[in-house]
Amino acid sequence: MVKIYTFCTSSIMVKEESLKAAKRITPSAYSAPTIEKNSAVKSKKTVDLCFPLLSDLVYGNPISLDALLSTFPGRRTQILELIQLLGPLNSPTLPLFVYGVPSTGKTSIILQLFRHLNRPFVYSSFRTCYNPRNLFESVLNLLLLHHRVAANGYSSTKRCDKLSDFVDFLRDALTSLIKRLKDDVKNSVSPQSVLPIDGYMIYLIFDHLELVREWGKSSSMLQFLFNLHDNLNIPEVGFIFISNLAPDMFCSNMTYVEQIPVYFPSYTEDDLRQILLRNQENQKLYSSFLNVVLRPFCRITRRLDELSPIFESLYMQYCKPIGDPSNVILSEDMKRRLYSNLMPHITSARNETFRVLDYAAPGTETSTKFEMKGCKRKLESSKKSDELDFHMSISAKYLLISAFLASRNQATLDASLFDSSGGSDSRKRRRKTPDKVKAQQEISEDDLQTKGPGSFPLERLLAIFQCLASVAEGSSDEDGGSDDWLGIGGESAVVTSNILLQISSLSNVKFILKGGSCPLEGSVRYRCMVSEDLALKVARSLRFPLAKYIYRR
Amino acid sequence: MEANGAAIDALNLIRSRLCNPNSIFRSLCGSPDSNYSKLKSILSTSITEACNNSVLLLGPRGSGKAAVLELVIGDLLLEYPDMITVVRLNGLLHSDETNAFKEIARQICIDRQLLFSKMASSDDNSQFMLATLQECGLKHKTLVFVLDEFDLFIQGKQRLLYALLDALQSISSQAVVIGVSCQLDVEKLLDKRVKSRFSHRFLLFLPPSKNDLLKLVEHALYLPIDSSIPQDYAVEYNAKLDAILEDRRFQEIIDSCWESYPTIRHLMKFLFHAVSSLNLDSGYLSFENFKAALPSMQRQPKTESLRDCSVLELYILVCMKRLEVKEQSSYNFSAVMKEYKSIYGSFHTPDYYGQNVCLRAFEHLLQCGLIGFTDDRGGHNQIIEFRPVKLLISLSELIYGLKSYNSCPVHAILYIQYQLSDGYFTSIFKHGSLLTIRRSP
Repeated sequence: MVKIYTFCTSSIMVKEESLKAAKRITPSAYSAPTIEKNSAVKSKKTVDLCFPLLSDLVYGNPISLDALLSTFPGRRTQILELIQLLGPLNSPTLPLFVYGVPSTGKTSIILQLFRHLNRPFVYSSFRTCYNPRNLFESVLNLLLLHHRVAANGYSSTKRCDKLSDFVDFLRDALTSLIKRLKDDVKNSVSPQSVLPIDGYMIYLIFDHLELVREWGKSSSMLQFLFNLHDNLNIPEVGFIFISNLAPDMFCSNMTYVEQIPVYFPSYTEDDLRQILLRNQENQKLYSSFLNVVLRPFCRITRRLDELSPIFESLYMQYCKPIGDPSNVILSEDMKRRLYSNLMPHITSARNETFRVLDYAAPGTETSTKFEMKGCKRKLESSKKSDELDFHMSISAKYLLISAFLASRNQATLDASLFDSSGGSDSRKRRRKTPDKVKAQQEISEDDLQTKGPGSFPLERLLAIFQCLASVAEGSSDEDGGSDDWLGIGGESAVVTSNILLQISSLSNVKFILKGGSCPLEGSVRYRCMVSEDLALKVARSLRFPLAKYIYRR
Repeated sequence: MEANGAAIDALNLIRSRLCNPNSIFRSLCGSPDSNYSKLKSILSTSITEACNNSVLLLGPRGSGKAAVLELVIGDLLLEYPDMITVVRLNGLLHSDETNAFKEIARQICIDRQLLFSKMASSDDNSQFMLATLQECGLKHKTLVFVLDEFDLFIQGKQRLLYALLDALQSISSQAVVIGVSCQLDVEKLLDKRVKSRFSHRFLLFLPPSKNDLLKLVEHALYLPIDSSIPQDYAVEYNAKLDAILEDRRFQEIIDSCWESYPTIRHLMKFLFHAVSSLNLDSGYLSFENFKAALPSMQRQPKTESLRDCSVLELYILVCMKRLEVKEQSSYNFSAVMKEYKSIYGSFHTPDYYGQNVCLRAFEHLLQCGLIGFTDDRGGHNQIIEFRPVKLLISLSELIYGLKSYNSCPVHAILYIQYQLSDGYFTSIFKHGSLLTIRRSP
């Protein structure tokens, strides 16, 4: 499941209702306020976009404090603390740093809080602004109340690349906006804007701050943002930073005056239960379901964005024996029946790959991403994972298998597996291996477990590839040949440019990685990143007996 | 509600005072040997006696360098109107010399109401700056250059610094260059020719003494009697504040906050947090406000992250600790999985999950910063299962985190085995919330 933040940093901001609709589409588990909005917006009204309103800066439709507190169970202390830190109307504030594990409600609470307080704010997220220019232009567009529409060719008001330009433009935009808000407050007798705005302080909210760390060491964006409060020196501006990481993970060479931290701990089991029970029609049935599943799954993870898709599919399983969920009477017997029906699915779900398509941790790559299917996959269809779900050309498949064998087996074994004429050894010549060599081979097997796939030079890859291709050609001749077979590499020993292109495309998708150069030869070595499961799948699709070639102790 | 409105006004007043560094440091400017007076005398001599000068303000972040400088400049602008032009540069924004010259030219143009052309080249801008310096010298006006984040100007070839300080050497110019930096040894990084042109004047911003500190706190928190706030409320408030300030516990809190990070702005941050929790119904500060604000200054981030971990993630951390104890110098995720399987084999824990689930938990731990990869360079050479990792928390933090995991189910048994310095093996069994230690020789 993918969380879609369609905050209008760079999209069209129409009217308040459609503004709310475009704001957020959250998982159904904790989306009580948004559900009201979504249902309210069935008809989008066309709006005259020539008059950007000051009220675009507020959320609109303010809610009371009780509504806010009841929308977010378990977050009472954090909400009250935030209200205290933001202070009464028009009171200057020091920058705040809101942090916590993902899906603890930081962004939604802050935005609903500003809805309750009805104060103007400018929200920008580093997930949508992926380089400095995007960030600068989106913030300036919002402050200058500029809409990017077809009429002006979806362009921003000002082109802003550099930090120094941004500071100047920001200062001008903020001072003019604050002046306008102050004038509005003075002339509050005749309100110009449709909805009254409270106060003249503007709050700049920067979300997903941890993504800035990946912009590279040369980017001084973090230091710039943290010092922006001092640089601007405008007391009517407040800063709020939201991040998944604690502030101490943002250490850099340059110091800054630290912000006030506000910590959002992850939800307790009771809070999770309360949140998951919302928006369920049959509360009793769902709560008996939660009694069964919540505790075991909370031992794996306590993050709501990972638990809710699992629970959704499990709940469908749970309700299967019951015909009509609204009319069921929950006796103990019924509960036991449902539980026993669900048990096997729970055990299989506990060991399933997490199907949440989440962003990768910094600096990691995983080849198993390609094995993750889309979110619609049901539990029963795990048998279908024997098939490859992406297309590769035949030569690429053979190259992949050769790379896998080259990484998996030691180079010394090549001679016994493939004979020198280019074909595979049909009869296994059992040479007596001395004990020392056997011990070394066992150590290398252990190494494989701990150190991972080995590296190989390009020549070895091509040699193995030619062996395999000749084997395959031989077997396809026996089968009468297939039309797809284009005689890859079987004719001559010349390495065509096609093969090299295939290798480079395989390394582009990170099936083969460059690296680990040999210190003696100085040539580049490659490493195959594919897991054994995927290699077996590929081999199965070619009807190639890969298992014969994998050396096992 | 009369008291409520007054309380809100008082809160606003104190908050704006605490957010504005200038007003806070004003109280420290009284004595003649303070940095304020020294800086003011340097600047006023160069204004009145038409000489050039350069000075560096050094001190840790938050000790008031920029604030004192602003106060001095503000006062001098009042005393000598129309005789000073201030040009402000920031090392973060203008470290590149083309940018810097453009910014200097732009600020001079704004000051003199000239039109600034964006198309002017860097040479034009620097010529313009030199011409302005000469002109100012003839008219007896001083040009003050304020270089914030001075240490960022030192990267590269220091052409801007050289140009500025060189311009000061000519007789006809009348300028002051003030650098503000947090790096105390920034002088050593200066280029040879820049160093020779620099006047080697430093003003160190050291933390104030205890008395000054208390005076500062009083100055920040007291309500003025003769303002828009109702007088009897203000008097009552000040009286209650007196009682708190004299309390020994309050002084202990201020001491602990000061010892962790002895800068004034850090203390102001603490006071801001305390004051913002002012009870608007009663309208007066109490000791509890300060006590409640103290934990936010004394955060323990790793313990917080540990409390957020699930049971599976704690298992992985414990496995990594066991591997470390077994003196495996470098280990990766597959070694951790082997250890996890062996724990399951020997202790039959109820929590046994597949490789994929454990990999997910492993990635969570990486994101939180509780574990980290040891190879930064070879990051893109290996898959995540085989990259060497290490624990980023200590054993005591791990044990503390395990103890404070308050929703541990009854059957959760976590094992850590470590070797004490006297050679005994001690196993710590955790059964529910009990902690029993069993020694075995």
